[in-house]
Amino acid sequence: MTTALHYSPLLPTLWLLPLFGAIALWAFGPQLRRNAGYVGSAVVLVSFACALALFGEATLPGNPVRVPLVSWGPGFDLGLSLDPLSLLWTLVITGVGGLIHIYSIGYMWSDRAIARFFAYLNFFVFAMLTLVLSDNLVGLLVGWGLVGLASYFLIGFWFYKPTAVAAARKAFVINVFGDIGIMFALFALFAQTHSIAFNDIFAKVATFSSGFVLLACIGLFIGCAAKSAQVPLHTWLPDAMEGPTPVSALIHAATMVTAGVYLIARFAPLWSTSPAAQELVGIVGALTMAVGAILAMGQWDIKRILAYSTMSQIGYMIMGVGVGAYQAGVLHFFTHAFFKAQLFLGAGLIIHALHDEQDVRKMGGLYQRMPFAFWAMLLGTLAIIGFPLFSGYYSKDAVIYGVLEHGHPVLYGMAVGAACITAYYMFRMIFIVFFGPYRGDVPDALLAIAPAATAAEPQEHVAHAPDWLMQAPVAVLMVPTVIAGYVSIGGANSPWYRYFGNLFGGADTAPVAAPLIPEFGSTALVLVLVALGIVAAYVRYGAPAAQAAAIDRLRRETLVMPARLRYLLWFDDAIALAIVRPSQALGGGISRFIDPHVIDAGVRDVAWVAGALGLAFRALQSGLVRAYALTIVIGAACFIAYFAYIGVPR
Amino acid sequence: MIGALVIVPILAGLALYALPRSAENAAKWIGVVVSFAAFVVAALSRDAPDESLVWLQRPFTASFHVGFSATGYASAGYWIVLLLTLATGCGLMVARLPQMLVLLGAMTGVFVARDLLLFALFWDFMLIPVFLVLIAWSPTKSSGTAWKYFVYNLCGGLALLLATAAYGIFAGTTDAIGKVAGPLSPSLPAAAETWIFAGFALAFLIKTPVWPLHTWMPDTYADLPPPMVAVVSAVQSKAGLYGFIAIGLSLFPHAMAAVAKPMLVLGAISLLYGAFAALVQDDAKRIVAYSSLSHLGLVLLGIFSFNPYALGGAIVYIVAHGLFNAGLFITLGEIEVREDTRSLSRLGGLAARNPKLGGALTIVALAALGLPGLCGFAGEILIMTGLYQAGHHKLTVVALIPIVLAAAYMLRAFQGMMQGPEVEDVPQRPDMTPLEIFAIAPLVVAIVLLGIDPGPVAFPARAAQTVGIGPAQPPPFVVSDK
Repeated sequence: MTTALHYSPLLPTLWLLPLFGAIALWAFGPQLRRNAGYVGSAVVLVSFACALALFGEATLPGNPVRVPLVSWGPGFDLGLSLDPLSLLWTLVITGVGGLIHIYSIGYMWSDRAIARFFAYLNFFVFAMLTLVLSDNLVGLLVGWGLVGLASYFLIGFWFYKPTAVAAARKAFVINVFGDIGIMFALFALFAQTHSIAFNDIFAKVATFSSGFVLLACIGLFIGCAAKSAQVPLHTWLPDAMEGPTPVSALIHAATMVTAGVYLIARFAPLWSTSPAAQELVGIVGALTMAVGAILAMGQWDIKRILAYSTMSQIGYMIMGVGVGAYQAGVLHFFTHAFFKAQLFLGAGLIIHALHDEQDVRKMGGLYQRMPFAFWAMLLGTLAIIGFPLFSGYYSKDAVIYGVLEHGHPVLYGMAVGAACITAYYMFRMIFIVFFGPYRGDVPDALLAIAPAATAAEPQEHVAHAPDWLMQAPVAVLMVPTVIAGYVSIGGANSPWYRYFGNLFGGADTAPVAAPLIPEFGSTALVLVLVALGIVAAYVRYGAPAAQAAAIDRLRRETLVMPARLRYLLWFDDAIALAIVRPSQALGGGISRFIDPHVIDAGVRDVAWVAGALGLAFRALQSGLVRAYALTIVIGAACFIAYFAYIGVPR
Repeated sequence: MIGALVIVPILAGLALYALPRSAENAAKWIGVVVSFAAFVVAALSRDAPDESLVWLQRPFTASFHVGFSATGYASAGYWIVLLLTLATGCGLMVARLPQMLVLLGAMTGVFVARDLLLFALFWDFMLIPVFLVLIAWSPTKSSGTAWKYFVYNLCGGLALLLATAAYGIFAGTTDAIGKVAGPLSPSLPAAAETWIFAGFALAFLIKTPVWPLHTWMPDTYADLPPPMVAVVSAVQSKAGLYGFIAIGLSLFPHAMAAVAKPMLVLGAISLLYGAFAALVQDDAKRIVAYSSLSHLGLVLLGIFSFNPYALGGAIVYIVAHGLFNAGLFITLGEIEVREDTRSLSRLGGLAARNPKLGGALTIVALAALGLPGLCGFAGEILIMTGLYQAGHHKLTVVALIPIVLAAAYMLRAFQGMMQGPEVEDVPQRPDMTPLEIFAIAPLVVAIVLLGIDPGPVAFPARAAQTVGIGPAQPPPFVVSDK
């Protein structure tokens, strides 16, 4: 396909550096102690620099940088490839990842296991790079599995907490369920193409039957749904907030959970040939978007609010790439990585300052105490709700209108509605956290908080890092949070669309239907609804009267909330009822009943028969020589008779 | 040299019996040196010539014929011997059992034997050291498990011996393993092939074990002391699968094809049955035991789908399973030595106190649950690629389910022991000693290397061609374009 091998030593370097970093930090952690943070951050930033240096080479049209690695067997050739799509992810992983590393130095300053933390973070970066740089399905699966492992390690980082341990296991098992979906797609595609390489697979897409493409796409999408927290496999994501906040920012907001978006964009040549698969992905993405937005309205934990908003925003991305608006969906990934990282890091500033308080009911009035955090959160909020001139405005608008352009009016309606809800729950958070009276010293009973519900493990806060160490990365992130969307100004002629060229199949992804409403009208509609959401949040939580009565209102809402909260638990209960408990019952039945009382009992019966036969034959061993002689004669007669009648085998 | 691989460990093991009890430490080091020397010799003997000595002329020719240079499927034996010597060496680091060396020699004999009669003799011989250990070391002080193990496996051994004798009578010689890829004797009547194969197959199925012949296995694994259970589960259990590959595929191709369907069903049942049973065990060793039932069922699927990828994957998985199972049982043994229990309900939070032990268990458990990038995944993916390619689409879906279950039970075991709040009422003992780390390190390195590149194990002929050593040989099957 491609002519000469376009090799660059920078590519393996940027890929392996974080792995070496992880190994070194793991091996020399006790010696490095707090310096581990600087080493880990430096490694990732060098990777970022390498990626930047490769920008020109990687974006040559149709000629990605390639590095062959290892060949398992015929058709199983593993290698790396850096093209515009993987370059984009690489830049975000190492760039935003590097900032989050620096932030973590301050956040984890007083944790004794800081070296282990950075070893895991570096390992995550390596795994994520493996995922996006692989030029084949097996390498992608390896990255896919390893990011799941890194996520497992980091969710369960404080492994003495039973909740963290349970959350880590849940995340891992659900993600393995996703892995087997991709594995199935791999087997199916390999049987058709005799190769695991993306290029070989895409070269034969035209020969696939539509049913086959749908099957392969469903397999791939199971993987996407698990990794990107799509309904109904999303239940691990809110629990994953048990991990340290920088982890939530890096893995469970900016990078790993968007792997599903990457996979669909990567497989655009396959997806574009199956309208049924596109329909399915679009619907699931839209449902996730709606469910996430609805659930975010009812949360009290600041990280869970952000987690559900992440889920909702990934729903937007998945819906976008699903229906064929690849550039728009990927753009939303790009802007989301910045503003959601910023929101999580801002939340981390608050959580850190309040000594691990995550319950927004116990916050309030923080505007005066933490103006920097306020501005960080406000900018992030304006971006995520799609406020004009902020990055999210461009990407979300592109997704919403892209869905309409590709002929899905119902999904379009849901997307517009979710935008309104997004504005509401984000400003609900802003008002509750930053305005009104500070409620940190209000007794839990007054706010109707159940005692165990918010029991945070006390952390050792012997020493604090300098404030700038955590604020500087947030300040840097503010810039792209505002301007990242400007790359797409100019529509199809914008730098963003030219960057990808015809990577997603060019003409195939062009809009199929004339939209019902013009783009301008759509934008205006979204903006009106967003304004409506903000106003609703203001009336309920932000207006002076509401602020004055905040404690009373929060108490009342807490009292009615459990009914609504249970809604989010339905998914958990359904999975437990339909899958987990029957499996355990089956396992218990096997080991407590079938093995000892059916199979072994059968064997015992055989043994009993053997024993009985032994008793019977014992009678023959009488010690009488004449009886023995008789049996010999009988035996010989049988023997002769056999060969006389049946014959000797040649 | 290859004969020495078999004989020296047996003699060394017997000699160790004679050592006085005070020389325990010396005995341990003799064991370690012998087994690692065996590993080096095995590694260097890839292309060593066969050694053959005829010792029986009638009623059929039989010889003491051992070697690695077999063509076709029997070359899988090389990788298993490599694994075997490695696992035994690692196991011996943490215990001092002359029986281990005898077992090492006997098992090596099974995998290097190129003569069916020799194979059958070693097959039965390797029961004896395990049986003796079970009798002597049974934690329950009852010989029930020992007899269960012995009678089950002896039934298989007897069938194997009878089938071997019958084969010798029909074919005139038992010197047949690895000689040919195809039916050895055109004179073998179809009915005879079927019945002889049935004898072999029964022995193989019991040894692996495959549902419903498996119930000896959880008891045996639970009762055997750590280093021996590591070697038994890592290698002895592979003798049956190796038999299907090295003997079944080349000597009884028609019979193998005829029983493919029932075998695939048995494999699928084992796969699910073991995985579900492993979900709820409280004894960590029983979790690993049932997971073995599940994992080896997958290998059976690989063998009986008659596809080059599936077969290559089966060999990879045989070696991979040996590596991670040996690692699992060695680490579980170290936990049991420290905490005096291996019950999940009584353990917890060990990683806080024993981070190195936690790290070791993490890697082997991850390999066992099929983490991409480690050896278990490489085997799984190749087996199922072939399974699907061979047209068994629904079976592929069935085979995928236990991967999720494996993640659940392996993490349950790992977290139950290592994570969560620390349990107070267990002894507080120190982390792994350097020797214990050194014992597990070779397994971990091999787990990672095989995970990165399973190619040489899966497609040895291809690897030999690319590096220019060894005879070029055609792939065992042609990739069908179905």
